[in-house]
Amino acid sequence: MTPATSDRLSATFAALADPTRRAILARLQSAEVSVTELAEPFSMSLPAVSKHLKVLERAGLIARGREAQWRPCRLEASPLKQVADWVAHYRRFFDESFDQLDDYLGELKKKEKKHARKQSKN
Amino acid sequence: MPASNPRTSPSSNTDDKNDAFIKVGERDLTITRVFNAPRELVFKAWTKPEHLTRWFKPKGCTLPKCEMDFHAGGVFRFVIRGEDGKDYPFNGEFVEIVEPSRIVFKGNIHDVPGQNVFTTVTFAELDGKTKLTVHQTYTLESDATRGAPTGWSQTLDHLEKFLITA
Repeated sequence: MTPATSDRLSATFAALADPTRRAILARLQSAEVSVTELAEPFSMSLPAVSKHLKVLERAGLIARGREAQWRPCRLEASPLKQVADWVAHYRRFFDESFDQLDDYLGELKKKEKKHARKQSKN
Repeated sequence: MPASNPRTSPSSNTDDKNDAFIKVGERDLTITRVFNAPRELVFKAWTKPEHLTRWFKPKGCTLPKCEMDFHAGGVFRFVIRGEDGKDYPFNGEFVEIVEPSRIVFKGNIHDVPGQNVFTTVTFAELDGKTKLTVHQTYTLESDATRGAPTGWSQTLDHLEKFLITA
């Protein structure tokens, strides 16, 4: 993983570390929602919700509309996919390595047999 | 990662109160494979560069650097060269070695500070075959991203849900 990828992952993880922000993301799964609507279930002030939205926006987890009054928030999936891909990448490493280990062990076994035969002859 | 990166620089956000250097991400990975070879032989394949260079890499990649001091506390330095010609360093230290049943090591991935992996490899006998289990915990740490270190498994459970619907 490159430093840039790791940097993006850090931002995603940090953004997801807060339960309010996770709840906001969950809410955005079904529809685009305005900041006022988002604030309702959390009994939070609008500025407090805005702060959370800024963190989510910086991490690329949400996108916001441009309208000045009603800036609807929308969930962006790609950083979440990247987190899931993170470990899948390492699983692949071992799957492929183990195929090669399997072949190599076959080679080692033959060598050891030969070696054992030589020793029994001597 | 550079500390000066504006994306992850410490800010004055309300959720950035915690000054501790914390883990921002953690994931576990377990892989099991049964090899048709005696346990001693499978273990041996992990003990020396001449063996590891033959298999410890993804397909199409090479291991141009493979130095290791195979005992507890000994360090290892690997470079995996990708098909694209890029080098990916993996450096670390052996934590525990129990021949022929267990190897534990910790390492840093691709020279990225805070991007670490803790690995436990166990070798179990299975009627002349060997069951190999690799358990890894990947962590991503950053002094620039601060928050509550708890609730990770929960976060990742939620994440799985998002991915299904996203």
